[in-house]
Parts: sequence; C-alpha cells; structure tokens
Amino acid sequence: MTRLVELTDVRKVYDGGARHPALNGVSLGVDRGEFLAVMGPSGSGKSTLLNLVAGLDRPTSGRVVVDGRDLSQASEAELARYRRGRVGFVFQFFNLLGSLNVLENVMVAAQLAGRGTAAARQRARELLAQLGIADQAGRYPARLSGGQQQRVAIARALVNRPLLLLADEPTGALDSRSGEQVMELLVELNRGGQIVLLVTHDAKLAARYAGRVVSLVDGRVADDVVLQASTPSAAEVVRVRVEEVAG
Amino acid sequence: MSLKFGILGLLAEQPLHGYDVKNRFESMLGGSWEVNIGQVYTTLQRLERDGLIEADGERGDRRKLAYRLTQPGRQTLHEWLSQPESEPQQLREEIYVKLLLSTRLADGNLDQLLAAQRRVYLQRLKDLAELEQRARRDGRDDLVLLFKGAVLHTEADLKWTDACAEEIRNSNQKGVEYT
Repeated sequence: MTRLVELTDVRKVYDGGARHPALNGVSLGVDRGEFLAVMGPSGSGKSTLLNLVAGLDRPTSGRVVVDGRDLSQASEAELARYRRGRVGFVFQFFNLLGSLNVLENVMVAAQLAGRGTAAARQRARELLAQLGIADQAGRYPARLSGGQQQRVAIARALVNRPLLLLADEPTGALDSRSGEQVMELLVELNRGGQIVLLVTHDAKLAARYAGRVVSLVDGRVADDVVLQASTPSAAEVVRVRVEEVAG
Repeated sequence: MSLKFGILGLLAEQPLHGYDVKNRFESMLGGSWEVNIGQVYTTLQRLERDGLIEADGERGDRRKLAYRLTQPGRQTLHEWLSQPESEPQQLREEIYVKLLLSTRLADGNLDQLLAAQRRVYLQRLKDLAELEQRARRDGRDDLVLLFKGAVLHTEADLKWTDACAEEIRNSNQKGVEYT
C-alpha cells in the first residue's frame, strides 16, 4: 500500500559531516489522518527530517515521496510550489511579520500561493473565526500574547488547506497553559482530518497528543510506536502505596 | 504512604467509621489504590490504643463505631503534615534490577528490553494525561496533583531508559565489555 508520505532509506549528510550523517537510512511512512510525533534529543535528526518532508531540503540519497510526488527529484520551482500549496508550517517562535496585522499575516500566505485578495481575505477571516481569534484581526503581532501569536501562525499555516501541517516545537516559547491550548487546537484539526507532524524533544508532549511516536537517535529510527487512546482507570496506571505502620 | 496518617487526616475533617474511612481513602486517591477493610480496622484499633483517636458514640458493632481525632492525634497529624519526606528514595520497579542484571550477564536482549520499556512509559504518559484531564474536568484538583507527580516520575524513567541505551551504545562502540 502506498503511504501518503513515504521516506525510503533516506540519508542526509551536510557538508563536511560525512562521518556523522544527520539522517542515516531512515524509512518511514505516514498515512492520511495521522497525528505523528517525531521525537529525539537535539542533533538526532528530527529537524532535518521535517525539512525534507517540507521540501526545504533534499536528501543526499534515498527518496522522499509525498502524495505521489518525489521531492528528491523535484526542481527548485516545483519544491517552492509544493511548499506554498501543500505544506503548512508552525514554528517555535511564530515567525509572524511585525509590520502586518493579524488578518494580513494570514492573507499574505494565501496571496503568495496565487489567491486573489478577496478570496484570501475571506479564507483568512474564516480561519481566524475557527481558531477563536477573529476579534484580533486588526491588531499587530507585538500586541498579542504568545498563545495568540501561535494561533495566528496556525491560521497562516492552514490558509492554503495544506496536505501536511508541520509543527516544530510549537509550544517551545509558550507558557504551559497556552501550550496546551495550542496542542489541543492541533488535535482538533487532526480530528477534522488534518495530518499533523509534530517535532519535539518533549516526550510528554509527544505521548499526550500524538497517536504515534517515532523516536530518532543519531539519525536513525530507534522506535516507532502507535499509542492506545484508551480510557484507563486510575488503578491501571498509578498506585499509591498504602502500608500499615507497625506498632 | 502510611495508612495511619491517612486515617488521621480523614478523621481531622469529621468523625468516620471504618467503611467511611476505606471509601473516602479510595476516593481521595481516585481509585489508584484499594484499601483493605481489615487493615483499616486494625489501624483504627492501634490509633485508639495510642490515644490518637477515640470512639465517637456508643461502642458495640465495630462496623457502626465511629471515631474522632483526639488532641494528641491532631498534634501528631500536624507534625507529620509539616515534615518533608526524607526517607531514602525507593526504586521499587523491577526494571531497575532487571537492567542491572542484564548488563552484567551480557544478555543480548538489552536493546529490545529498553525499547519495550520505553513504549510502556510513552503509553503511560498518554494514559496519565487522560487521567489528569479527567480529574480536572471532575473538579478534582487534588488528584490532578497526584497525576502530575506520576507524569514527572514517568518522564524521569523515560530519560533514564534513554540514558541507559546511550550508555550501552557508547560502550558497544568502544568495544568495552561489561563484566
């Protein structure tokens, strides 16, 4: 069966790093509807993996195929088109344009992908409403909280209805409450069918929100596990030891 | 934890009989431990003998006998509550010993064992997150604290398995053998 995203024996060696490839024979498939977390310590290759799937970079060898398109063979122009139209990014530090207001930040991504102003505005407004920040449309990023800025970034990422939503440490710059809200938003989007690829060093975050966790170590897949979304009773998970004290 | 102080703490709220104690204890811990009723009665008797609690009402059927905290009992409870825990850390899970033995015995399954253990911890993190969320929905902020503690322990265990795996990889690369 063909997976929607299929990496086959992918190696990525950066200049001068031949002895320590960033990715060293990674094979991985992702299906529609998945919420996949890629986990690993810094230097394990997880950002490299994300960049390859995002079409920001090409593998040194091996294949990266997304929805039937082989990114390793694609031209620069094709990759640029793929990135604009098929991939949505969410970064740790939001990367919003400070000179544009919230609505414009979201719109501009649609316009760059070739959408007309009116259509871009309509789509942007729709997303801001969906993400609960419609009332912030006219404000500038600097005036928003971190959590709000990340919502704007998510709206921007979704504006072209991407096949893949890629999130690289999306809660890294947020307090824990805003971080949870952002993650719950990603879960909600995933329930609506959006494929989410989360990259994080945080096991708790990965296990809590993703249905599947891939762990990278030294550029290789060390583990790939599907987690059960069961509803266990407390006693099945944690026990407090109660003992009688003698005497 | 000790049942003795658990009981003193519950009786500090109001007088209770044995079954109340058992039920409240279980509900306090969110069902994460089942308390033995026999153990509860024995502990109640000891506490009464030591003057920390006393019968509240008629003495007769022990199932209907309620107890209340005495002044020395309240004192003892408050001392306990205000003390930090300084007992030696308990590494109760067998995986600690299993891994030590496996490295010593150079049993080739260490990698698989670590990987399997890691999966258990990842699943546990997911389960605990679910329990924490449920406790929060139910307005049980006290249980949220319990689950947060369990999450942190599980994260530490996960880090430990990763550290073990790394240690083993490094020593394999150097060709060092464990003896």
